[in-house]
Amino acid sequence: MADLVRFDGATLGYGRSVILSDLSFTVPEGDFLGMVGPNGAGKTTILRAILRTLKPLRGTITHTPNIRFGYVPQRDQVDYNFPLTVVDVVLMGRYDRIGLGRRPGKRDRDLACKALDHVGILDLADQPLSLLSGGQKQRTLIARALVGQPNVLVLDEPTSGMDLVSTTQILGLVRELHQRDNLTVLMVSHALNEVANYVERIALVMNGGFHIGPVDEIMTQSVLSAMYGIPVEVDSFNGHRIVVAATRP
Amino acid sequence: MFDAVLLFREALYGALVIGIACSVIGVYVVLRRIVFVGAALAELSSAGIALALWLEGQSLMLGLATHPIALALILTIAGALFFGAGGGRGRIPPDATVGVTYAVAGAAGILLISKAAVGEAHDIFLAGNILGITRPDTLVLMAVAIPVLIIHTVFYKEFLFVSFDRETARTLGYNINLWNLLLYFTLGVVIAFAMQSAGVMLVFNFLVLPAVTGMLVARSMGGVFLCSVVSALVASLIGFTLSVRFDLPTSPAIIAVSGVLVFLAFLIRLAQRR
Repeated sequence: MADLVRFDGATLGYGRSVILSDLSFTVPEGDFLGMVGPNGAGKTTILRAILRTLKPLRGTITHTPNIRFGYVPQRDQVDYNFPLTVVDVVLMGRYDRIGLGRRPGKRDRDLACKALDHVGILDLADQPLSLLSGGQKQRTLIARALVGQPNVLVLDEPTSGMDLVSTTQILGLVRELHQRDNLTVLMVSHALNEVANYVERIALVMNGGFHIGPVDEIMTQSVLSAMYGIPVEVDSFNGHRIVVAATRP
Repeated sequence: MFDAVLLFREALYGALVIGIACSVIGVYVVLRRIVFVGAALAELSSAGIALALWLEGQSLMLGLATHPIALALILTIAGALFFGAGGGRGRIPPDATVGVTYAVAGAAGILLISKAAVGEAHDIFLAGNILGITRPDTLVLMAVAIPVLIIHTVFYKEFLFVSFDRETARTLGYNINLWNLLLYFTLGVVIAFAMQSAGVMLVFNFLVLPAVTGMLVARSMGGVFLCSVVSALVASLIGFTLSVRFDLPTSPAIIAVSGVLVFLAFLIRLAQRR
């Protein structure tokens, strides 16, 4: 598989403040990568670098030509005071293709409806965005990312603040999009237990460190204890991996 | 009564033009939660007028008293670009920067006008002199408002996208800073010209109340824009007529009607929910 994104000794930060140093890794085509770490560890910084909205302070980040990202922001990054319907929001995913100063046409609306159908909420197309549940809002944002026909789907904390049912449905949908459409997926989350059971590779970002590899390689007691800085145990329950602190509360 | 209104028809036309321009941009002002940026820019504009009149009194920059818009425009656009570029971010919260600008510009305007050889009463900045609008003033206002409205019509989806979800817009290649600056620039230009006749209070009213009315009543962006413009026009017409009929100050009369429209919109919203 060809590499879609390649980090070569990239140091990331803002101004003079370095967040992460000397990152070297690749995101190959067809990857399903979960980027996990606590808040403030630098996940979003790496995400911005991948999305080309942040240039490295040192080193290089190379993107394959014609790469197109479908970005799903954190839900609270979107302002639900705007009186927009679900389809209005999904159409935004095509704004750059429609061109400057032009309005969406019938083809754009058809593609928006198709994307909504893809994520299972076509019946909500004309509903006001503000009236949707958390899971439905997330599906709307995923549909917006898909309508631009991306080759990489990037999700920032897609299950943050969701209940168990919505979390399971959204992660199931993302896995389905990866498997069914062979879409490269990059998912950022602070919840290792959620992500580890869906993705194929994990990038751990914490305490200034960065460790990336297949799930089986990362989900070990030694790697996780070293990254978290406390002893942890990795257990399995009904085929689900669970990471818990070794010390009892 | 209508004869009396017709007597001041040029002033009414001017108020309508200001109302339309401000109520369109006001939708973004309210949705983006930058209401007090509008107020601070209006104060900066009034400080620019006062500075021009003060300089005239000091026999400096002669001729500015007849064209105080020049300094008002410079100060307002500078402020708009500063806020549009995210000025004040960092240690000081952006709204505190807006507050500092509002207070300092407001005080500077009053201090400068109090020492100006030419100029009018201090409250002219607050209440404006809407009845003093002439045909040439209206034509100038239209020359400013029409290009601004064309920009907002043509680039509606761009302004909407960067206002609604700037991070996603950025990932799709939108230059967020550029679009923000253009939005704030149009805001600054409209405020600077509207301030000449309408004063801080009325300009602030037109930037906020009609948009709030629209947001309460309408369920789509198009609907919000339409209701905002219609409510600005209705408030201008009724407020203007009442001020002439009952010998009331015009700007506060228009603002009072705008307030009534917000209240009615609120009642409509309540009824819609039931």
